Amino acid sequence: MALSTITTRGPSRPRRASGPLKLVASRLLFLFVALFGVVTLSFLLVSVTPGDPAELIAGPVASQDQIDAIRADLGLDQSLWQQYLDYIGGLLRGDLGTSYYTNLSITSEIGNRLPATLILIALSVVFAAVVGVGVGAAGAYFRGRWPDKVGRFGTSLFQSVPDFFLALILIYVVFFVLGLAPAPTGQIGIGDVRPEKVTGFITIDALIAGEMGTFWSAVSHLFLPVLTLGLVYAAYFAKTARSTVGKALNSQQAQFARAMGLPERTVLRYAFVEARGTIVTYAGVIFAALLGGEAIVERIFAWDGIGTWALQGILRLDVPVVQGMVLVAGAITLVTYTLLDIIVGLLDPRITHG
Amino acid sequence: MAESPAPARRREPGLTASRWTTVRRLVAEHPGAALGVTFIVVLVLWSLFGPLPYDPRGTDGSASREGPSGTHWFGTDGTGGDVFSRVIEAAKIDLSLALAGTAVALVIGVPLGLAASTKGKGSQRLVRGLDAFQAFPLLILALALVSLSGNQLYMVVVAIALLNIPRYMRLLRSEVLAIRESRFVEAATAMGASTPRLIFRHLLPNVWGVILVQTSLTIANSIVVLSSLSFLGVGVSAPTPSWGSMIRDGAGNMSSGEWWIATFPGLAVLLCVLAFNQLADAIGDRTARSYR
Amino acid sequence: MSDTVLDVRGLTVDIATPDGTVNAVRGVDLHVGRGEILGVVGESGCGKSTTIKGILGLLPPNAEVGAEMIELDGYGDLLATPRKKMREVRGRRIGFVAQNPFGSLNPIYSIERQFYELQKAHGTKVGKKESREIAHAMLDGVGIVNPARVLDGYAHQLSGGMAQRVVIALATTLSPQLLIADEPTTGLDATVQAQIMDLISGLVRSEQRSMLLVTHDLGVIAQYAQRVVVMLDGEVVEHGPVMEVMVDPQHEYTRKLINSVPKREELHDVTA
Repeated sequence: MALSTITTRGPSRPRRASGPLKLVASRLLFLFVALFGVVTLSFLLVSVTPGDPAELIAGPVASQDQIDAIRADLGLDQSLWQQYLDYIGGLLRGDLGTSYYTNLSITSEIGNRLPATLILIALSVVFAAVVGVGVGAAGAYFRGRWPDKVGRFGTSLFQSVPDFFLALILIYVVFFVLGLAPAPTGQIGIGDVRPEKVTGFITIDALIAGEMGTFWSAVSHLFLPVLTLGLVYAAYFAKTARSTVGKALNSQQAQFARAMGLPERTVLRYAFVEARGTIVTYAGVIFAALLGGEAIVERIFAWDGIGTWALQGILRLDVPVVQGMVLVAGAITLVTYTLLDIIVGLLDPRITHG
Repeated sequence: MAESPAPARRREPGLTASRWTTVRRLVAEHPGAALGVTFIVVLVLWSLFGPLPYDPRGTDGSASREGPSGTHWFGTDGTGGDVFSRVIEAAKIDLSLALAGTAVALVIGVPLGLAASTKGKGSQRLVRGLDAFQAFPLLILALALVSLSGNQLYMVVVAIALLNIPRYMRLLRSEVLAIRESRFVEAATAMGASTPRLIFRHLLPNVWGVILVQTSLTIANSIVVLSSLSFLGVGVSAPTPSWGSMIRDGAGNMSSGEWWIATFPGLAVLLCVLAFNQLADAIGDRTARSYR
Repeated sequence: MSDTVLDVRGLTVDIATPDGTVNAVRGVDLHVGRGEILGVVGESGCGKSTTIKGILGLLPPNAEVGAEMIELDGYGDLLATPRKKMREVRGRRIGFVAQNPFGSLNPIYSIERQFYELQKAHGTKVGKKESREIAHAMLDGVGIVNPARVLDGYAHQLSGGMAQRVVIALATTLSPQLLIADEPTTGLDATVQAQIMDLISGLVRSEQRSMLLVTHDLGVIAQYAQRVVVMLDGEVVEHGPVMEVMVDPQHEYTRKLINSVPKREELHDVTA
């Protein structure tokens, strides 16, 4: 019996015959199709919705001729189909058009602003994950006792607070009252020297240029926005971690590990390992959601990332800017989800790639 | 067999007992939700019928940016408006828009979700499509819709509904698929129950609980979206007070110390969201328990 | 060395719940002799599992364990052993086999890693390579044909019977003198059940170990145990050599249990 089971279900062979290559290929195919959908939607979103950008740009006193001229200039007088083809054509050449207002190329604007947003989001997700998982795991371990009660209170509070309101409260408390953080003036202080652009990440560029004053200023300017986003999203991590780690700690597996005399920290580590797939998935989803989702917080801290830029574009109906933002956020989100699928699959031996 | 309805998840054993004991027990078990509901009820009643100390749309140039005091409980804003009166008045527009958006999402999302709860290829593609939709920056999407429409209030409702319809659909689909697997639906199908009968007698009674939870969460989320929009100056516009625009008015004052202008409307948002989240937790708790 | 390996007298477990204290176990005596298999039988909820967890010190903080004595031969009084020290007893002096092996094994770590963690936890100064060699020998000892392959694999890739063999290998790696098996065959295929029971009882007999075998299945007890303890509602209602109890049950409940055995087999025939 034992003989037959081992020959038919060899442990080192995946259940369904397909390598990681096939997984990546199928995911990339989906990615490609989905990206095409995102492009089309982002085109339709701004082209079909009511409201005329030409009228808006021209202003209330413009004559019909002026408006028509602007419309022709923007290509808005052509058929929707022609506009779509032009848009796709430009996209394939890496050309996302130019802003109606500043005439700057969308592609280079995104390139200039993306690093500021990425560093903010990345640090916030890391902060949120560390704090949130810590609080959630402590809550799971001390279920019903005081660390759990405090953690749950904090979790429901930060889950309910709008990020922009928390940002303002933190500015008042940490900057105005305590003086522990610099004023919300963006990535660096008003008097700081902006380092020459190399990577686009101000902290790294400051180090390269040897501007230590700017470097520390940039780090301290990251503090409040990261704290804001980190606290809000830590609540999500805490909630998930509490339930997944809690489930793992109460599982028969944990019981068996204890019965085998494994120390508590090993039991906790086992529980973490069980829960890590879920937590990594959460990190990815939150990272994606923050792109654009943190726009208001960027605006409050005068952060010159793509969030601020997109908000400004939307509020003055700068169609190419909105399209560019939707496209970038959609693309990064889809890429993140695809990577996530692959990473989680690699982390958990139970997931066979089929 | 086919005549007996499916065992519903929501079954409250205490309903036969006196109303008051039921209420008391509910309050004792879910103090957060009880406090939250009380807060919302008081806020709504006051904003509809209550007397306000000052005209919420009025200004007073001689009393701008005064701190909280006996005359102005929550202080005054930059134009001398009474923050307390404005916070209460804003509940009208903020809560009704959030409720309207949620209602539209509910009415459209639930039937669509039911329709999509088959295991066919088509409905699976639909779910993937919904996922791709969720990949958009949703706040940006809502902003774009509202501002491109020329700041129409109905568009705010549409935007809130659009953001939440996919959530209802996903939730309904996964719940219904799980229930379809269960024995009683299998039995009912085997007895030849018709599709509407299946839906109304067997599926809906069993997903009521999760729909209620989701609705409470959606209201909370809508309040946040709404105040984010008006914080950015989109949607509700002056002179109608809304919490988001009040926070916007006071945002700049935070770094100069006049905290009350933005903090009180912010607390109103926070408490409302907290209330609906707690309510969702409590409902979820009860449905999960009676399910066992 | 005495003839009694485990001597439990007057074990009580009180569990504090919001609705008051539940006396889950009330004065249970257990004596496991050297080389002996003691069966503990009773329906689910009678306090069997709580008794074991009480002995192993695995109950949650809201449960209070009391006893006149819990004496483990060669070690001492378990009741007086602090929680931290109890960890050294578990795994090294008392091996544990539970039902549903897939629930017991870690799903994320390879089987080899789980052997390594166990040895590391008990301060055995072994490297990864030695640990693998020991694990290899242990798997070989429980009748696994290709140990190297199993060691590299994960729990979900095994069949139920194989997974339970791995669990048994883990439980006996540090050669504990006492094994506690809690429904070790529940959830396994009927054909595999007998193999697993043969394996465990063989391991006990060949090494002069002892075993506390907890089950609801009197048939298993009759076949493998020497003495039996019948539990009902947290108390021992009858105990004695298996043959005596089976042939001449004194307690009403034991009689019912014995009568239910053939009935269940009939049921098996119907469903099969």
